[in-house]
Amino acid sequence: MEFAEMIRTGQAQAELLRGPEEPPLRGTLCITGHHLLLSPGPQATPDLWLLLLRNVDSIEKRVAGDSGTITLRCKDLRVLQLDIEGVEATLDIARSIEALSSLESVITSFPFFYRPKGLRLGDAWHFHPPECYYKRVARETNAWRLSEANEDFSLCPSYPRAVIVPRAVDDSAVARSARFRQGGRFPVLSYFHAPSGTVLLRAGQPLTGPQKRRCSEDEELLRAVLAGARPGARGFIVDTRSPQAAKQARMTGGGTEAKAAYPGWKRLHRPLERGRPLQESFVRLVEACGDLEQSMDRWLNRLESCRWLSHVKETLSTACLAAQSMEQEGACILVHGAEGTDSTLLITSLAQLILDPLSRTMAGFQELIEREWVQAGHPFQLRCAHSAFSHARPKHEAPTFLLFLDCVWQLGRQFPLSLEFGEGMLLALFDHAYASPFGTFLCNNEKER
Amino acid sequence: MEFAELIKTPRVDNVVLHRPFYPAVEGTLCLTGHHLILSSRQDNTEELWLLHSNIDAIDKRFVGPLGTIIIKCKDFRIIQLDIPGMEECLNIASSIEALSTLDSITLMYPFFYRPMFEVIEDGWHSFLPEQEFELYSSAISEWRLSYVNKEFSVCPSYPPAVIVPKAIDDDALRKVATFRHGGRFPVLSYYHKKNGMVIMRSGQPLTGTNGRRCKEDEKLINATLRAGKRGYIIDTRPLNVAQQARAKGGGFEQEAHYPQWRRIHKSIERYHILQESLIKLVESCNDQTQNMDRWLSKLEASNWLTHIKEILTTACLAAQCLDREGASILIHGTEGTDSTLQVTSLAQIILEPRSRTIRGFEALIEREWLQAGHPFQQRCAQSAYCNSKQKWESPVFLLFLDCVWQILRQFPCSFEFNENFLIMLFEHAYASQFGTFLGNNESERCKLKLQQKTMSLWSWVNRPSELSKFTNPLFEANNLVIWPSVAPQSLQLWEGIFLRWNRSSKYLDEAYEEMVNIIEYNKELQAKVNLLRRQLAELETEDGVQESP
Repeated sequence: MEFAEMIRTGQAQAELLRGPEEPPLRGTLCITGHHLLLSPGPQATPDLWLLLLRNVDSIEKRVAGDSGTITLRCKDLRVLQLDIEGVEATLDIARSIEALSSLESVITSFPFFYRPKGLRLGDAWHFHPPECYYKRVARETNAWRLSEANEDFSLCPSYPRAVIVPRAVDDSAVARSARFRQGGRFPVLSYFHAPSGTVLLRAGQPLTGPQKRRCSEDEELLRAVLAGARPGARGFIVDTRSPQAAKQARMTGGGTEAKAAYPGWKRLHRPLERGRPLQESFVRLVEACGDLEQSMDRWLNRLESCRWLSHVKETLSTACLAAQSMEQEGACILVHGAEGTDSTLLITSLAQLILDPLSRTMAGFQELIEREWVQAGHPFQLRCAHSAFSHARPKHEAPTFLLFLDCVWQLGRQFPLSLEFGEGMLLALFDHAYASPFGTFLCNNEKER
Repeated sequence: MEFAELIKTPRVDNVVLHRPFYPAVEGTLCLTGHHLILSSRQDNTEELWLLHSNIDAIDKRFVGPLGTIIIKCKDFRIIQLDIPGMEECLNIASSIEALSTLDSITLMYPFFYRPMFEVIEDGWHSFLPEQEFELYSSAISEWRLSYVNKEFSVCPSYPPAVIVPKAIDDDALRKVATFRHGGRFPVLSYYHKKNGMVIMRSGQPLTGTNGRRCKEDEKLINATLRAGKRGYIIDTRPLNVAQQARAKGGGFEQEAHYPQWRRIHKSIERYHILQESLIKLVESCNDQTQNMDRWLSKLEASNWLTHIKEILTTACLAAQCLDREGASILIHGTEGTDSTLQVTSLAQIILEPRSRTIRGFEALIEREWLQAGHPFQQRCAQSAYCNSKQKWESPVFLLFLDCVWQILRQFPCSFEFNENFLIMLFEHAYASQFGTFLGNNESERCKLKLQQKTMSLWSWVNRPSELSKFTNPLFEANNLVIWPSVAPQSLQLWEGIFLRWNRSSKYLDEAYEEMVNIIEYNKELQAKVNLLRRQLAELETEDGVQESP
C-alpha cells in the first residue's frame, strides 16, 4: 500500500483560518503521506505550517460556486477551516484526508518515519527501565525483588518484562497468581512510600467467578506484602467498581477478593467512571465549551450534566483516600478495577503525585508516566484512537489519560509552587497521546512495542 | 444614650474562639461600644478585633452550661464563640445584637475613630468635581460645571457641582429636574477624549400615563449630539418593565419626542433579586461537603454569574457605542442610582486607562458611586447572612467589584491595582472605621459633617505602606480600550471573595509572593544591565578618543 495511492490531489491554493486569536494563512496546500502542509506564497518555502493527519478527528466539507470549505476538527480540540479554490480540489483533498487520517496500521504511522535533527534514534527509550525504579525501592527495603518471570510476556501480555514482587514469593507462585487475575495482571508493586514503609500495588480483578474460586498463591502474595511492610500492617483493597458492579462481575468470571481468604485486607469500593460514559462526558464537555453564545444558565447546566468535574472530584477523592491510608494510617493499598488498565492507573499515579515529591519534578513526572501508564499497559492506541469530535462509532476510546492530566492540573492550581512542570507540559502530553511524531504513546503495551 | 447602657456584660473570661484557618484559642472577650475583642490568654495578643457594624446576624446555641454564639459577618466570615455560663452568653448575645443594629449614623465608629497614622493627604479633598473637570480640558468648550444644586435643593441625591452642556442654563436644569426621577437630570458621566463622545446618566423620565414631555430635557440631551448624528439611550430595564413604570408616573423617552435617539433595553436585575442571589450563592459556597452536581446546580440557581454577564454585556455595549460607533449615550434605569452606575463605571474601565490606575479608580468610585448618590447606607446595611426583613439592601456595589475583577482576570497587566484592593473596598463599603461609605449621598454627608468629624478611606489607603499591598506587580501602563469576553466560559466565580474563608489561600499567597520577588529581581537585573551597558558605552568612547590622533 502506497501513500501515493490515497492522495488524489497533490496541491491547491487555500486559506487557513485558525480561530479568533491568529491571523489567517494563505498559500499552497499540500498533502503528504502523513501531513497537511500549507506554505505561504505560491511556491513551497521552508516556512511551513503543518498538521499531522493523524490529529484529524472528523472532517466536514462544503462546496459553493467554484470553491469549497473543509472544516477539520482535531483530536487536540482545535477547529480549523480551509477555504480551497476549486470544487474538484476541495473534494479530492477531503477524500485524501479522510483516508489518510483513519489508517489503522501502526507501522505506517509517522513516528516510524520521523527523523528530527539533533536527536538520535534509541536515545530516551531506556531512560526509565523497571530496573531503575527497583533500585530506588531496594535502597529502602529488601522485602521486594525484581522478577523477570514475564520476560517473554507469556504470563501477562500487558505487563512489562520485569516487575517488582515480594521477595518471599517465587516465580512459579507469581505464575499461578497471574492465572487468577484478569489479563494475567497479578499484583505488582506500584510505589513504595519510604516515610511509612507501606506500599501501593495494582492488579486486575481476581477471577473468582460464580464458583468462588480461590488461589492460594495469590493469597500468599498479598500476605507477604503485609508481612514485609511493617509488623501489624493493615491492607486496603480499593476496588474502583461499585459493590453491585463487582458482584455482577462474578457472573462473567471475575469478582472480588473474599474477606476470609485475605486476612488483614479490607475492601473499599470507590466507583470511578470508565469507558463509554467517560468518552461521552468528554464529548459533551467539549461541545459545551465550544458554544460561546449561550446563556450563563445553559453553560452551567451543561457543565453539570456532562459530569466531567464529578469524575475529576471522584478520582481525586479516591487518590487522596489511598494516599491518606498509606501516609497517615500506615496501611498498604491494592488498587484494581476490572482490567486494571484504566481507573487503576489513575489512582496509583495520582496517589504518587500526592505522596512523593520526586514525582512532582520534571524528571520524576516523566518517569511516573513511563512506569504507571506506558509500561503498565494502559492501552493508549485503543483509548486515544478518537477524541471528542469524532463521528466514528466509539469502541474502546476513553479519555482516561486526559482525566489524569486534568487531575494533575487541579493539583498544580492548588499548589502552584509544588510542581516543577507547568500547564504547558500537561497540554503537550495530551496532544502527543492522541497524535504525535514520536513513538512513546504508540501501541497498547510493552509487548506490542 | 451611652453605649454602656447597651452592654450588659462588658467582659468574660475563658471564652474559646473558633475562626477559619486558625486553631481554637482561649482568651478574654471584651465588648466595647464599637468592637468585639478577644485577647488570648497566652501572650495577651488580640486574636479578634471585630467591628459590630460588620456583624450581619448572630445565632446562639446552648449545650448544658456552655453557650455558643455564632457570629456571621458581612464579609462572609463565620466566627464561633464558646462562652461559659448561660447568663453571660445571653447577655453578650443581646448586647451584640443591640450594638450591631444601631439606627443612628452618628453613633457609628467612624465618628469615634482617631487615626494612629500620620495623615499626609486628606482623602476628603482628593477627588473634588473641580479637579476632575479640569482633566477634561478638551471638553471645556462644550461643557460647564453647574452649581445649581449647591444647596441640594434641585436634586437631593446629586453632588453640589455637576457637569452639563454649556448651552443649558441653570433655570433650564431646574425644569429638567422636575421631569426626572428623584430630580436626577442628565449629567455628564464620562467624556471620551478620542472622539468627544460622552456618557450621560440620569433617572427615568417622568412621562407617566399622559405622555408628559419636557422640552428642556430634550434640548439638554440633544445638545450632546453632533450635527446629523444619533445617540443611544440605554435603559437598564426590559421594555415591559419600562412600560409598566408609566402607571406609577415614570416611563421612557418616546421616539416622537426624541427622534435622534435610539433606545436599547437591557435587563439588569435590582433590589431583592440581587440580594437573594447573594444569599443563595454564599450559602452554597459554605457547603464544603456537597458533591459536584449539587455545587454546580446551586451555583446556577443563584444566578449570580448571570447578573455579572448581563451587567458586563451592557457595559460593553455602552463602550462600543462610544468607541466603535462614535455616538453619545444616555444611561438610566428607574432611579438611576444602581444599575445605571454599574454600567457607567464599568464602561469607563473598558474605555479609559486612567480608571485602571489606583488613583483613577478611586476617582471613579468617588465620582460614579459616592458623589453620584448610590445609597450605600441603605444598600450595605445587611449582607448575605441577614435574617431580618430586608428593605433596601442589595449587593449592587459588590456586583460592580466582581465585574471589575472579571476584567482584571482577563487583562492581568492592565490594572495598577490587584484583587486585594477590590476586596478591601468591599469590606469597607459594609463596615469601616472610615467615613467614606457612610450616608447615601453628598447631601447627607454634608449634614453629618463627615469631612470634619471622620477620616476618609483614601487618606489611609494612599499611604505608600498601604499602597504596596494593593499594587499589581504585573501592571504595564497602556492606552488600550480593553474589551472583556462575556462568554459564559470566561466568567468565573470570584473565589477571593466567596471562598475566602472556606479554603486556605496559603499556597496561592506563597505563589503570589514568589511572583512579586521574581518581578523585583528582574527589575534589579534590568537596572544592572542598563548600568553596565552605559559603562561599556563610556569605555568605548574613551578608547575611541584615545585612539584618534
